[in-house]
Amino acid sequence: MSDDTVDLREFLSGFVAEADDHLRSCRSALVALDRVAGRPEPNAVRQMYRSLHTVKGLAAMVGVQAVVDLAHRLETVVRTADQVGGALAPEAIDPLMRGLSGLELRVQAVARGEEVPEAPARLMSELEHLEPSVGPREVQQDLRLFLPPELARKLTGAERAQIAEAARTGRRVLRVDFVPTPARAAAGVNITAVREALARVGELVRVLPRSVPASEDAPGGLSFALLFVTDLSDEEIARRTSFGSDAVIEPLVELDAPVGSRAAEPEARADEGDMGRGVVRVDVERLNAAMQSLSSLVVTRFKLSRAIAALEASGVDVRELRVVNDEHTRQLRAMRESILHLRMVPVAELLERIPLIVRALRSATGKAVQVHVEGARAELDKSVAEKVFPALVHLVRNAVDHGIEPPEVRRALGKPPEGALRITVAEPAGDRLSIGVSDDGAGIDASAVARRTGRPVPADDRGLLELLALPGLSTRDEATHTSGRGMGLDIVQRIVTRELGGELSLRNEPGAGTSFTMSIPLTVSIVDSLSFECGEQVLVAPLGNIEEVVDASELRVAETPGSSRMKGQRIIERRGEVAPFFSLGEVLGFDARDEGKAVLVRRDGTSYAFAVDRVLGRQEVVVRPLLDPLVQVVGLTGSTDLGDGRPTLVLDLAALGDDLERSWPSLRP
Amino acid sequence: MAISPTVNDLHVLFRVGEGEYALPAAEVLVMESYAGATRVPGVEPWVVGIVQIRGEVVPVVDLRRRFGLDGAELDGDRRVLVVRQGERSVGLLVDRAREVLSIGPDHLREPPEAVAQGTERMIRSVATVGDRLLMLIDTARVIGAVERRDAGEMGRGVDGD
Repeated sequence: MSDDTVDLREFLSGFVAEADDHLRSCRSALVALDRVAGRPEPNAVRQMYRSLHTVKGLAAMVGVQAVVDLAHRLETVVRTADQVGGALAPEAIDPLMRGLSGLELRVQAVARGEEVPEAPARLMSELEHLEPSVGPREVQQDLRLFLPPELARKLTGAERAQIAEAARTGRRVLRVDFVPTPARAAAGVNITAVREALARVGELVRVLPRSVPASEDAPGGLSFALLFVTDLSDEEIARRTSFGSDAVIEPLVELDAPVGSRAAEPEARADEGDMGRGVVRVDVERLNAAMQSLSSLVVTRFKLSRAIAALEASGVDVRELRVVNDEHTRQLRAMRESILHLRMVPVAELLERIPLIVRALRSATGKAVQVHVEGARAELDKSVAEKVFPALVHLVRNAVDHGIEPPEVRRALGKPPEGALRITVAEPAGDRLSIGVSDDGAGIDASAVARRTGRPVPADDRGLLELLALPGLSTRDEATHTSGRGMGLDIVQRIVTRELGGELSLRNEPGAGTSFTMSIPLTVSIVDSLSFECGEQVLVAPLGNIEEVVDASELRVAETPGSSRMKGQRIIERRGEVAPFFSLGEVLGFDARDEGKAVLVRRDGTSYAFAVDRVLGRQEVVVRPLLDPLVQVVGLTGSTDLGDGRPTLVLDLAALGDDLERSWPSLRP
Repeated sequence: MAISPTVNDLHVLFRVGEGEYALPAAEVLVMESYAGATRVPGVEPWVVGIVQIRGEVVPVVDLRRRFGLDGAELDGDRRVLVVRQGERSVGLLVDRAREVLSIGPDHLREPPEAVAQGTERMIRSVATVGDRLLMLIDTARVIGAVERRDAGEMGRGVDGD
C-alpha cells in the first residue's frame, strides 16, 4: 500500500477520529455481549463485526499493519460468533477486550505520530485459539466480481463472504471510484469525505487504493475503489451524497439474476455543498485556537470599553460609540456561545467506558458488581470532560476496590451478593453539572481513617472527606476494606476543586454504602464576573454564586463575643437568615478603605457576606487557573487580564467563606 | 543535541544583595524588568505575587526575601528571570542581571557542607572566575519543596491565633 506515493497525512487525522468512533462502538457492543453472558445478541455481534472490519480497512489505507493484523484477528473471532447466530462465548470477552485496548493504544500512537507497536503476539495467538477449528463457511465460488484481478486479490475471505451474503439476500453491492485531485481537495472532496458519504448510504466493505498512470485526470497517480453494500437505488444514492460527475457507481457483483439496475450513468451530480452535511470532525486543537482568539477579543473589548469610558469622562459625546460597543458585546457573547457549544461532548461518552473498567476490576478483585448509569444526557465542555474523567475513574475504582464487599461477606450481611455501583448524572443546574458515584458497600469507618491520619474523629461527612483527601493518606494505604478509601482522593479533590473550580462532597453511611458527588462547571475559561476593589487591589469573582450586592449600611450587623481562642465575629441578618460577615480586606491582608459594599454569596444553601470597598461592574473574564504550588490558596480560582496587561485575581468567595467558617465552627445551629 | 559543550556552560549572572549568583542559561526562559506584581494572599512571604510575562502568568519569588536579605538597599533595576523547572515556570526577582558568562565544569566546586546546609541547599555549587566568587543556585530548591497550602491559610487573619 505504501508504494503508492500519496500524502497520507490528509487522512491520518480522519483515520484516528473514525477509528476511535468504531472502537467506541465495539466497546459498547462488547459490554452488551458481556451482559447477556453467552446468549445470542446478533445486533451487537454484527455491530462489532462491522466496526472491526472498518477499522481494519481504515488501518490498511493508512498502512498501519499492526492495527490491520490485530483488528483482523478480532474480526475473525466476532465473525465466527456471527455465523453461529450472534452468540459470543463468555471466555472470548476478556481477550476481545484486551484486543480492543490494544487497538486503541495503537490508534493513539498513530494520533501522536509515534511508532506503532507490533500486534501483541501472545494475545494474537490467544485469539487465534478462540477461533474454532472449522473455518468460516466457504464462499460461493460462482461469485463474479467486476473487479480488476489485482484489486480482487486484495479482498479477504471475510470481505468476499460479506459481498456474497449481501448479493444473496438481494442487496446491491456497488463500486465507486474516486480519484483525488487538488481541485477536489480544495472543494473539501477527499477520500475521507467520500468514504463518510458512502457510509451514510450503505455499509462500506473495503476501500482499495491503487496506482493508476498519472494523467491530467489523476495527477496523483492514485485512485480509490470503494466497495459498498446498500439497499438504495442509484438515484437515492446520488440524492443523499453528492459526488462530482467523475464518481462512477458500478455494480460489483453479478449473480445469476443481475442485482440492481445498471443505470446508464448515475446522476451523481449534485451541488458539492451537500458534502459536508452531517457531522464535521474537528481537531480539538483548532477549537482551542478559536477559543484563544475569542479570549483575546474579550480582552480587546475591555480595552475598548475603558477607552470609551475615558472619552466620556473627558466630556466627549460617546452615545453612538456606546451603541456600537453594546452591539459588539452582544455579538461577542453570541460567538462565545457558539464556540462553547462546539466544544460540548455528551457525558455519555465519559460514562461508556465505566462498565469495562468495572469489568476489569471485577476480575481483579473477584467481586460481583452491577453498574447502573442514570440520566447521562447532559453535555460537557471537552476540556472539562477530559479533566473529570480520571477523577471519575478514581471514584469508581475506590467503590469497587474498597467499598463493595466480597460476595461471601455480602451474603453474610444479608446483602445481595452482587454489589451495586450507581453513576448518576443530574440535569445541569445553571452552569453546573453533578456526577454522583455511589455504592452499596461497607461505607467508610471514620474512626479508622482518623487513627490513620492521627487526627480527631471527624464530626461529619465533610470533615471525613477532608481527612480522606489528605495527600499523605494514599501512601500509607494498605487497601483495607474499611479505611482504604483515601486512595487517590487527594487527586480527585484537586481535579474537581482546583482544576475545575467545582466541588466534591461525600455522604457516608457505614454499613450501607458511600456516595461521592462531583459538582463541576459545564465549561471553563470564560465566566461572567463581578469586579470590585478591595484595598489597593482590583479583584474579580464569578457571578455564579453571588446573590446580591448591597450597601453595607443597609445591613443589620451584630458582633459576636470573642473568646480566648478567637476574636469576635460579625454576623448579619438578611431575609430571616444569619450569615457571617467577613471583611475581605482583613481576610486577604489588603488594606481595605471604607468597605462600603457587601457582596452576598450563596452556595448549597449556605450564605456568606464579604465587605468590599467599591464595586466596579460586571464583565466576562477569561480565567486562567493558577496551578503552580507556590500560589495555590483556598478561595483563589485563578487570574484574569482585565486589559491592563497585569494579572487580576479571581476569587471563589463561596469557597473562601466556607473555609473561613470552618475555623469558626459554632456559628450556625 | 549538544551543539558544542560550551553552550551548556553558559550561565546568566545576577546580583541579589551583595552576592553574585548564576543560573544555567538553558533554564532561563525570559528576562524582564520588574514593574510590580499582583499580590496573592496567603502564600509564602517570599512570593511577591504573580506577573504576566509574554502572555504567561507566573508566580514571582523575591530572592532577597528567599535568601533572607530583606534589609539590603535596592538599586531600582530589579529584574524577573523566568525559569523553567519541569512543567513549572516561575519568576525569580533579582537585583540586577546583565551578564552571561561561560562557566566550565572545572570552575565549579561543591559548597562547604555548612554553607549547603545553612542555605537549605539552595546553593548548588560555587564557581571562581577570575577574582569573582559566583554561587550557582539550585532552582528546584529555591522554588520547590513547598508543601501544599493547608486549608484555612487565607483565613488566618480572622481566627486571630
